[in-house]
Amino acid sequence: MSKAKLENSSQIGLTNSKGLSSIFNKKTIPYLLLLPAFIYYAVFWLAPVFAGVLEVFTDMNGSFTLTENFKLMLKSDLFDKAVMNTALFAAISVILQYFIALLLAVLLSRKFKGSKLLMFVAMIPMAITPTAVAILWKTGLIKDGWVNSVLMFLRIIKEPIVFLNAEGLAAVFLIVLIDTWTVTPSVMIILSAGLQGIQRELKEAAYTFGANKWRIFVDITLPILKPSIITSIILRLIAAIQVWAIAVMVLGFSRVPFLVERIAFYVDAVPGVATSEKLAFTFSFTTTVIVFITTVIYLRATKKKTKQGGNS
Amino acid sequence: MDKLNIIHKTVISIIISTMVISVVVPLLFFLSITFSSDVEMTKFPKALIPTFAVTVKVAPAEDGEYEIFHNRGEGYRSIITTKNPTKLENHFRRQYSVTISGEKLLEDFSKTRVNGSMEFKYRKDIFYNFKQFFAIVNNSIPALKNSVLVALYTILISLSIGSLAGYAMARYTFKFKEVINVTLLIVRMFPVVGISIPMAVLLIKFGLFDTLLGLALLYSVPNIALTAWITSSIFIGINPELEEASFVFGANSFQTFMRITLPLAFPALAASSMYAFLTAWNDTISALILTNQNQTLALVVYKAIGTTSSGIQYAAAGSIILILPALVFTFIVRKYVNQMWGGVEL
Repeated sequence: MSKAKLENSSQIGLTNSKGLSSIFNKKTIPYLLLLPAFIYYAVFWLAPVFAGVLEVFTDMNGSFTLTENFKLMLKSDLFDKAVMNTALFAAISVILQYFIALLLAVLLSRKFKGSKLLMFVAMIPMAITPTAVAILWKTGLIKDGWVNSVLMFLRIIKEPIVFLNAEGLAAVFLIVLIDTWTVTPSVMIILSAGLQGIQRELKEAAYTFGANKWRIFVDITLPILKPSIITSIILRLIAAIQVWAIAVMVLGFSRVPFLVERIAFYVDAVPGVATSEKLAFTFSFTTTVIVFITTVIYLRATKKKTKQGGNS
Repeated sequence: MDKLNIIHKTVISIIISTMVISVVVPLLFFLSITFSSDVEMTKFPKALIPTFAVTVKVAPAEDGEYEIFHNRGEGYRSIITTKNPTKLENHFRRQYSVTISGEKLLEDFSKTRVNGSMEFKYRKDIFYNFKQFFAIVNNSIPALKNSVLVALYTILISLSIGSLAGYAMARYTFKFKEVINVTLLIVRMFPVVGISIPMAVLLIKFGLFDTLLGLALLYSVPNIALTAWITSSIFIGINPELEEASFVFGANSFQTFMRITLPLAFPALAASSMYAFLTAWNDTISALILTNQNQTLALVVYKAIGTTSSGIQYAAAGSIILILPALVFTFIVRKYVNQMWGGVEL
């Protein structure tokens, strides 16, 4: 009834065109609400992005080129390493953080004495500024840092290890560990919020039908958590591909090259050189394309799985 | 069965205590570092709790000089021999974070002429590193103010524009809805670092380069999309009948939005403002590109890591100032974040 009334009033508005009321009819409202965002993105996103893409497809002299800058990027120092490291980092960190976050979310979602306090503790790293995280771990990983102090105290090692000299895979793994320390809480929050939505009755029913804890986890908890898992994995993947700050602040530029680390490198460390700006643009274009493709593939894959899983 | 239960409980408590230790221990060491003096920074192994006082051994030397000994972990060692009050004062301040006048030190040490070598204990100035941070890093106080303002602007811009878009996405069906939805995701995918350079060119054109508003405009780019996304999922959860009831009582769309929908969507707005705050507060690289004079605190601390290789404890103290507001803000809105991901039921 109210809808009919609304449509009615909007029609009156159209014919009478009485100032405001004619603008606020049902058809134009969504566009009006979206208008500020449209304008904002046209000016402050599309224009810079367009300018950036234009840079990628013009050479130093300003004439059009399709591949010149990509060749420049392929030949640039550490390009292949940056690609490899980014892929490795994204894969390892997302899997590791997921495993830990899911484990903690499931354990802490049970109501027991002190579970709220523990949740609070688990959330702390999330609120710590990346710069502070970098200092925390930098002071920890130096030769006479606190990590060595702890390891020696526990008699795990006899001689202090110079972690900051780590190279290649070891260095990537170091960054994975630091990132995991920082980021796992935010994944855990999404998952544990999803867990809160699971009704007790469902679990109890499963118990009465003789299901064990593992079956309940696989058949009830996981399927209900699925939307939360999918959302948070997308967010994590997008963020993981764009890792750079920790690597630079803990180890310095060019030590563990990542795609976005290269952008920051050409912007921050070697500004003013004609090629460095081109490289920065080409790298950010490439990174965006990679992020985009990964997300699309991931969304496709999860959609298919959900459809198949729906039958069981 | 009982045995199984015990094993089960043990495993759970081991996992949880590992989690607590791996969160708390690094933080304690970090706190300890921010209160450490220069001498403590070179000590190994590091102490979990910083000392609040320093003990030195002083022996009288020739020509009215005094020899100072200090234990850095391998027994007492001779550090400095002097009778110059300024030198003494500087040594105590820089090495042990003890702020005490040189004359007072000499007066104390003169007792050793009578008693022979003695031990002296001095209280550390606990906040020495914090004072040093603000003293060494110029414009760190304006930077703090800048950070607060940029964060506020970012929240205002993203929330006002983003929540309108989110409402439209949740409540109406219209052409291009899918396209807009995907566009919002793409905006978030684009590395902000990438658009910072062309953004600088654009801001120079508008006369907004090196201004706080200019920075906030950049930070709002990913956050408008995020706000739209978060709020639309909440708006979907809010029962439209409430809005329809408001229409029946004669309110128009905007009145309904302001009086009914907006208050109900508060958790989403709180969560979005947290993300907006954190983007603006934590960013370093965009601030590096888009500012010259008007730096933010995060940028100032970031630069301090690079320049002070020896005095990283000062940068650590600066980063504590950086952490505190973020920590407070996160924990104020944390229950809303929880609600947001869980989907509020109204």
